[in-house]
Amino acid sequence: MKTRIFGLCSLSLIAASMFAAPPAQPAKIRIVTTLTDLADFARTIGGGLVEVHSLATGVEDTHGVPMKPSFVPLMNRADLLILVGLECEHAFLPALLEASKNPRIQKGSPGYVDCSQGITPLEVPISTEHSEGDVHPYGNPHYMLDPLLAKIAIENIYSALVAHAPQHQVEFARNRDAYLVKLNAKIAEWQEQAKPLKGVRFVSYHLHWPYFAERFGMIYSGTIELKPGIDPTPRHIEQLIASMQAERVKIVVREPQFPERVPSRIAAQTGAKLITLPIMPGGVPQTDTYIEMMDYIIRTLVAAVSK
Amino acid sequence: MKRALWSFLAVALALSPRTVHAQIAPSALDVLKQEFQQLKQHMQQMEQQLQLLQQKIEQLEAAKPAATPTETVTQEQMRQQNEKVDRVVEAQKKSLPGEFNPAIGLVGETIFSHRSGSSTATGSDRPGGFDVFQRSVEMVLSASIDPFAKGYAVVNAQADPVTGEATASIEEAALQTTSLPWNLSVTAGRFFAEFGRLSYIHDHELPFVNRPLVLDKYIGGESKTDGLQVNWLAPMNHYLSLTVGLGDQFGDDPNNPGPFRAFHELNFWSRLSTYFDLTPNWQLETGMSGLLNPKTEDLGGVLVQANGSTLTERARRLAGFDLRITYAPLRNNQFRSFTWGTEVLVSNNRYLIDPNGSLNPANPSPLLDGDEFPGHVSSQGLYSYVVYKMDRRWSFGFTFDWVENPQNRYDRTAAYSPFLTLSISHWNQLRLQYTHTTHNAVSGLRDDAFSLQWAWIIGSHAHGWQQR
Repeated sequence: MKTRIFGLCSLSLIAASMFAAPPAQPAKIRIVTTLTDLADFARTIGGGLVEVHSLATGVEDTHGVPMKPSFVPLMNRADLLILVGLECEHAFLPALLEASKNPRIQKGSPGYVDCSQGITPLEVPISTEHSEGDVHPYGNPHYMLDPLLAKIAIENIYSALVAHAPQHQVEFARNRDAYLVKLNAKIAEWQEQAKPLKGVRFVSYHLHWPYFAERFGMIYSGTIELKPGIDPTPRHIEQLIASMQAERVKIVVREPQFPERVPSRIAAQTGAKLITLPIMPGGVPQTDTYIEMMDYIIRTLVAAVSK
Repeated sequence: MKRALWSFLAVALALSPRTVHAQIAPSALDVLKQEFQQLKQHMQQMEQQLQLLQQKIEQLEAAKPAATPTETVTQEQMRQQNEKVDRVVEAQKKSLPGEFNPAIGLVGETIFSHRSGSSTATGSDRPGGFDVFQRSVEMVLSASIDPFAKGYAVVNAQADPVTGEATASIEEAALQTTSLPWNLSVTAGRFFAEFGRLSYIHDHELPFVNRPLVLDKYIGGESKTDGLQVNWLAPMNHYLSLTVGLGDQFGDDPNNPGPFRAFHELNFWSRLSTYFDLTPNWQLETGMSGLLNPKTEDLGGVLVQANGSTLTERARRLAGFDLRITYAPLRNNQFRSFTWGTEVLVSNNRYLIDPNGSLNPANPSPLLDGDEFPGHVSSQGLYSYVVYKMDRRWSFGFTFDWVENPQNRYDRTAAYSPFLTLSISHWNQLRLQYTHTTHNAVSGLRDDAFSLQWAWIIGSHAHGWQQR
């Protein structure tokens, strides 16, 4: 009898140990970013402590990310929403926030991480009349293309992660610092490589590049769009070609989400070099990270100038 | 003498330099020599150091940038930085005074049309032939109420088709919660209830000029209600949304409850919707909707039929199924997309049927004469449309309408409408549409209409979740 009882207890203990739930893994911080560069930074700083989803895949226009209902459950469960700010995401984010029903990430909440904090914007419009196109009232939001300003975004992401999970501050700081060492080295390399770009004039389809131009000494000579968000008219194309010829503009930048026909025609008529440049990681193949994207941009521009 | 002389010589020798030299100890001389040498060496070292310092000074002076260019760069940088900051401050000056104002936008919509049938034949409140009218002028206001809710209102002005006099009405004025737990949100006030896919979309935001026939017939235009609606987002990885609501009317026609309305005599509606990413570029959204009003009393008044009988609506039941498939390539969805949308509605209303027409309002004394009886009339209708976007400005499409009269399912109307849209900009749009109606619901005659819609927006304009 005692033997049976002992045997049953032993079997019970063995069974319990077999079927016992594994020790609970600490829950990862769920992060949703609007664009892919922010996702890259969040993954780097957060490391294994975060689970990051980007609403954009990299190929979209930043103003044309679709409002997919499949984004809603992601945002509903998110701990942090990281965005570029300066109304960059005005076309899709407000409606998604409304549908997400997540008070943790609404504007003004700690989980709403606006990476433009600390950025002095360029091209703050004097007028927001629609006659000026789809202007951003707080300034041009495409500051992420300046790697020194991208460091401010990194700091904002780091601060948000620490505020959300202060017990992991040491690891976040270690990851951030390691990345900044790498990024600073690349910035020095890019500044060296980009010396031939100083004073080079260029046009682009949309006004994505003022921060990049200022950082690397290039001169923005206009956009193919008549106004932000307004397709070019034949007259505007003619005027642009004339001004490009007068100013000896060497480069036409086409962002991959815009059609090629008009930029190609402008390049052909002015003798400028047409190049395609991504505006966020994933925009063209083999640019999955921010550093790879900037490598590609600098390399492509320098090659265009050299030819 | 000799002794003095030898003494003198001795003294002289002693005092002679050699003697003196002999008398200065050789060590002191050596010391002097050493000190002299040291002094000399020291002076040589000093001289060398001076030479080195001189060389260094010369080198530094050669490397030192000119003072004037450095100051210029710094001032230029300061000027540029000040300019940036000034622009930000100027922008803030513009926004801060209006900081407490709601976002305000105004939408205007003008319709130029030609219709082959007269208003008598078509049942339209607009004349046949050539016509121009301002179908709507809507002012939209929205703002946060507090950390827990936001509010919005839509004030719509329309011109009377006969007198041309404009009258304004509150089309929507509602509060929407923003921070309820359990994935809930509540809308309360006057609003367009979430039923189907297009019933809560304003006319100027429809993908075509005219509201589908089935929505006009079965809902009565937009799904306007004074009521309360609760939306719940299912807490799961897949998008599933459930909406339930109640209100005192549903559609344009006012709901007459009689002298007393019990709770169960309100309008009740619900919608369940879900979504699938078929591929990164292909999307499917679908939903089911239901509407129940157990007591409408006489919605739409006494409805006189072609055979002289009358129907008076007593209860309303409506079910709908909607589906939308969209192709929107992520890389250039602003320049290329394709949409197919379809909605099917089934109506099963209860009427008081008066075979001999004694209740006809045209009678001198309409009255119940005992032959009336309750009955159900089932009917169905649908619309289906496709839209292809060729670039950021141009798109074209086609709509098919088919609807059975909710009072007589054998009375059917079909319409075919190709259309072409030019989006001059996000706030300025032209749309040309041709509609061929095979059997007009009022006259039974065919009808052809051309419509040119011009819609424009000033001020604030944001696409809410329902307008995606």
